[in-house]
Amino acid sequence: MDEGYRILEHPADMGIEATGPDLKSAFKQAALGLISIIVDPASVEPREQKAVTLHGTDAENLLVKWLSEILYLYDGEDFVTSTITIKKLAATELDAVLAGETVDGNKHRLKMDVKAITYHQLKVEERQNGCVVSVFLDI
Amino acid sequence: MTRLQKLDDYRYLIPKSFREGMNVEGLIFASSELIKAIENDLTLMQVANVATLPGLVGRSLAMPDAHQGYGFAIGGVAAADIHKGVVSAGGVGFDINCGVRLLRSGFHLDEVKPKLDALLDQMFRDIPCGTGKKGIAGGLSYDELDRVLERGAHWAVENGYGDAEDLLYIEESGKIPNADPNKVSRRAKERGRDQLGTLGSGNHFVEIQFVSEVFDEEAAKAFGLFTDQIVVLIHTGSRGLGHQVCTDYLEIMQDAMRKYKITIVDRQLACVPIQSPEGQSYLHAMASAANFAFANRQMITHWTRQAFGRIFGSSDLKVVYDVCHNIAKEETHRVGGSSRKVLVHRKGATRAFPKHRPEIPADYAEVGQPVLIPGSMGTCSYVLVGTEKAMDETFGSSCHGAGRAMSRHAAKKQITAEQLLHDLKEKGIHVRGASKSGLTEENPDAYKDVSLVVDVVHNAGIARKVAKLIPIGVMKG
Repeated sequence: MDEGYRILEHPADMGIEATGPDLKSAFKQAALGLISIIVDPASVEPREQKAVTLHGTDAENLLVKWLSEILYLYDGEDFVTSTITIKKLAATELDAVLAGETVDGNKHRLKMDVKAITYHQLKVEERQNGCVVSVFLDI
Repeated sequence: MTRLQKLDDYRYLIPKSFREGMNVEGLIFASSELIKAIENDLTLMQVANVATLPGLVGRSLAMPDAHQGYGFAIGGVAAADIHKGVVSAGGVGFDINCGVRLLRSGFHLDEVKPKLDALLDQMFRDIPCGTGKKGIAGGLSYDELDRVLERGAHWAVENGYGDAEDLLYIEESGKIPNADPNKVSRRAKERGRDQLGTLGSGNHFVEIQFVSEVFDEEAAKAFGLFTDQIVVLIHTGSRGLGHQVCTDYLEIMQDAMRKYKITIVDRQLACVPIQSPEGQSYLHAMASAANFAFANRQMITHWTRQAFGRIFGSSDLKVVYDVCHNIAKEETHRVGGSSRKVLVHRKGATRAFPKHRPEIPADYAEVGQPVLIPGSMGTCSYVLVGTEKAMDETFGSSCHGAGRAMSRHAAKKQITAEQLLHDLKEKGIHVRGASKSGLTEENPDAYKDVSLVVDVVHNAGIARKVAKLIPIGVMKG
């Protein structure tokens, strides 16, 4: 399955469906989808790195925590991510390195505030030919 | 599966046979026109899902502006027995105490119109809005933020934002008493620290409006409203702090549910017993976030006054009222003939208490609580008043707005920002927006007709129309 993401519609908000040959790449694409909703990714440079380690109760929970982490780093610590490397993704654990920089309203083309990542129609599917994940955001 | 049953022109029942596990029935307030939109998405199923939560009393309700949300439908009301019931973080939502505040001026429409652009420009300069905008320079210290979470709008007044009199006209007087900042995570505080005093983006706004029609002279007089009067409507919430509180407690509740042997049909409905340590912690954190939102609207009120002062030489804007529309409140209601303490979740719904309730301002004791219903950008908004019937049927609740009818993407495809601004200007509405794409997503056609929504609550008797407000100036995040 090809790597990529697309934006899903919801009456009030937005979702992301991401695919990839494995779960790692689908999780990475979901994160890139989230970032693309917040900011124009082309305006962000990978100037500093942050390591992220997360634990979840299952793959769905881990996906929500993963995207919530990226959202928190943006909204709480003013760190916007452009490049993602997922080093390890097990059933309930994720290790990643995020590269990006401090938010600068003059440099980064900020698009929209995302309030939170929801469990609404959350999906993590491992199929024979790859993985599909989908998640809805509260805008 | 049994389908929806029409009870009368404004009420539709979801019987318990609609889905497995419903502990109570569902009830939707809608007209034959609005119910079609409601049936179009997942709203009915979400109202039925809420009805499966343990310890609910009465019915799982949805207001006529209801649309599909997360877990709970937006426009949902559900009351849980205070001893046997549960509290759900998703039942309050991410934007804790998102709400609206109405300010009234002494100005007539004709006095403000000639200087409208100057006023909007001044407000746009003075009120931080849009994606990534900060409030107080450098952000608040953690200690000071804790005072905000404890004291809400009182903190704002004590720090020079507005007058003590304002506090009399805010739900809960602008300070929910059981707030405990220690129950709010460091992360939530980090998100909120520099967002206090910001409008945000999305559907949040400040609108300059005029009173175009008065339906109820007595109530309008009590609220200080008259025809052609300039008023200001502010719509915003608890910003990143509230969003993070909900995110945090969704996790805490999901983990704790196992311990309490609660099973749910949708993960977004995660809940815990109200009296459990986790339930109480959430309510303390929720109250803290709600207080942040009260302080936020109080600061925006102050800057709005400042802008009026600079342009017109008078900053005399009085608070008519300030209501929460995402909140859980401990209240006493009549259920099945007896008086019971319940926790009322209002997820996109407004408290609508009638006259003589102790919770409402003394000035309004003989008419009832103002219920503020913002419409979509460039249409109209309403002031309603609470009724006895709302106490009987909806735990003293009513609708909260127009309700979206179209996705953001579909809304954006409908019209360009330039065309939208042009069309609104033709209608005499001037707009300042931080984001062009944000504006088109909020294009009025993306929402239901707020007048239809308000007619349903008025005709069903769960609130009564007092006045209609038409915008002339819009400031969007």
